Amino acid sequence: MNTPTSPLIHLIDDDTAVREALALLIGTVGLRVQTWADPQAFIEQFDRDGIGAIVLDVRMPGISGLTVLDRLIAQGVDQPVIMLTGHGTVDLCRRAFKAGAAEFLEKPVDDELLLETLQHAVRAHVGSRQRHRADRRARERYALLSEREREVLGLIVGGLTNKEIGRALALSPRTVETHRANLFTKLEAESLAQVIRQYADLVEAGAP
Amino acid sequence: MMHAARRIAGLTLLWLLLTVAGGVVIARATLESRREAFETDARIAHRLLSQRVVEHDAILSTLALLQPGANAGEAAPEQRLPSVYPQVLKVLRRDAAGTWPIEPAAGLEAGETVSRQAGRAALAQVDFAAGRYTIVRAADPASFALQIDLRALVPRAEWPLPDEGPVRLALEHAGQRRVLMPGRSDARGGWHFGFRKHLAADSQPFDVVADLRVGWGELPWVAMLAWGLGCALVLAMVQAALQQRAERRRAQELLRLGQVGRLNALGELAAGMAHELNQPLTAVLASAHAAQRLLAEDPPELDDARRAIDQAAGQARRAAEVIGRLRRTVERPELGARLVPQRLDEVVRRALHLLGPDCQRARVMPEWQAGADVTVQADPVALEQILHNLLSNALHALQQVPVPERRLLLSAQVDGRRGVLVVRDSGPGIARDALPRLFEPFFSTRDGGLGLGLSLCETLATGMGGELTGGNAATRGAEFRLSLPLAAATTP
Repeated sequence: MNTPTSPLIHLIDDDTAVREALALLIGTVGLRVQTWADPQAFIEQFDRDGIGAIVLDVRMPGISGLTVLDRLIAQGVDQPVIMLTGHGTVDLCRRAFKAGAAEFLEKPVDDELLLETLQHAVRAHVGSRQRHRADRRARERYALLSEREREVLGLIVGGLTNKEIGRALALSPRTVETHRANLFTKLEAESLAQVIRQYADLVEAGAP
Repeated sequence: MMHAARRIAGLTLLWLLLTVAGGVVIARATLESRREAFETDARIAHRLLSQRVVEHDAILSTLALLQPGANAGEAAPEQRLPSVYPQVLKVLRRDAAGTWPIEPAAGLEAGETVSRQAGRAALAQVDFAAGRYTIVRAADPASFALQIDLRALVPRAEWPLPDEGPVRLALEHAGQRRVLMPGRSDARGGWHFGFRKHLAADSQPFDVVADLRVGWGELPWVAMLAWGLGCALVLAMVQAALQQRAERRRAQELLRLGQVGRLNALGELAAGMAHELNQPLTAVLASAHAAQRLLAEDPPELDDARRAIDQAAGQARRAAEVIGRLRRTVERPELGARLVPQRLDEVVRRALHLLGPDCQRARVMPEWQAGADVTVQADPVALEQILHNLLSNALHALQQVPVPERRLLLSAQVDGRRGVLVVRDSGPGIARDALPRLFEPFFSTRDGGLGLGLSLCETLATGMGGELTGGNAATRGAEFRLSLPLAAATTP
């Protein structure tokens, strides 16, 4: 699994011993770890496109973990953030979740809990990235359609038959049939069900 | 500061008002009494002068009636009158056919005519400038006249006005004026009292005129000043009392803040400690888990596992160092060095005074059973802190029983070479399962209690070579016994 595309865990903690120990532990389940001592350097340099998760200590000198979290969310970072704290209060926990943390764990942390949380976060990230990629591709294909084809697609999603579509658009059923065939080709769709599942949202949103 | 300045300005204004108002009242009362005394004196003077001049009428009437020396050759006995009456300068007679023996006699003759018509003595000559006047009584065969010396007119006996006194007294008659007593008329401004009354004798119709001037300098300045000073003193005391109250309030506020501050500091300490310890503990746990996993692999990754275990050991040492550092930071200086003799009754009195407001709030009247005079060897601050803690706990416990059942007893005893201070309350006592953990740090039965109070007390007591024990009293409630070494001087 140790390929450049395998998930990467970013571990941010100012304490060297904690960084090394946690990195070793996380490494035992085959996840790659990149450690950061300086939160500022992490924000500036980490790879935003990669798959993985972020483990963030709450209490760090100079800049608090919550502030780092706020910045990441504001910048649209989509990697799940797991907060670690040595002095967890209900209030702190609430604030972290409100700010967009995926999980909140107390130090010292149990290995099972940490590793499971990380694996779950990575899976969730992969899933969300795939959904995003699918969405993006669907939008690209939808953009290839002509004005008429989009009208036809809208009526297909609306559940009309070729004959009804022809009446509605004042076209012969044969012409409708042609449009329909072109449209399926452009959208790389194999079934009516797939078209409706992938493109209903785009049609209703009236995307170009 | 602004508040205090305003109060001082207000008090100063009040003082000015009081001083001025009081001064006016004192001055008016004094002037009034001076006026009354003056009028009384003037009336007495008038009466005495009236009696004196009526006397002259009587002398003349007697002479007219008796006609002494009527027989020729007989010595004139009336000439002896001046030796009896100092004011009588001369006695004059005019026999039936004769004339008055002085020149000019016109005045006497005119007076004689008036006298003859009125049938009483009449005024004949008035010469105030020379200090004399003459009255005459027409009679037959001889008429008599008396020349009166104004200077001797004032009767010394019973005379109310002192010679050098402030009252000016004069006689006035038809534009003439004779000052009998000069008074002191040097006062300018101030107040003037006047008196004028006719003498009660028709033959000598003079006005008695009395004047008194009271100058500014004669006002009762000393009394007014004393009043002003008295007011200042009282107001200064009021100011001092207010100031003291404000300071006491501030001190209480500071005390409260100090307690809050200590709690905050404790919270901060706990948070810091948690972080400082959690870091190495996190590393230890993570390393140990990693080692477990590495050893469980097939084949086991021995090198990595060894590295993980080394790391765990290192971090465990680090945790121990954190604890050590913390202890050195908060370690108290040795209590033994500051031990001094402390009288238990004084310590108890101080502690009860400090807790007075709390006792009132809890509606508890602490009872101090002063036994023998017990003096122990202790650190004053530590001893006070222990007692304060025990009393606070007792007050807390007492709030759980009805008000009439609340008792807080303090007593001192001597037990061998130790002095024992006993604090007993009538509260619900200590639960059986809490008894063994009474002095354990961070053990508390109170909501929000830190559980450090009794633990600290025991540490302090032990540090002073003493002992603190706690349990339930035989009857009801909790009882704590603090025993400390007796001071050397105390005789058991």
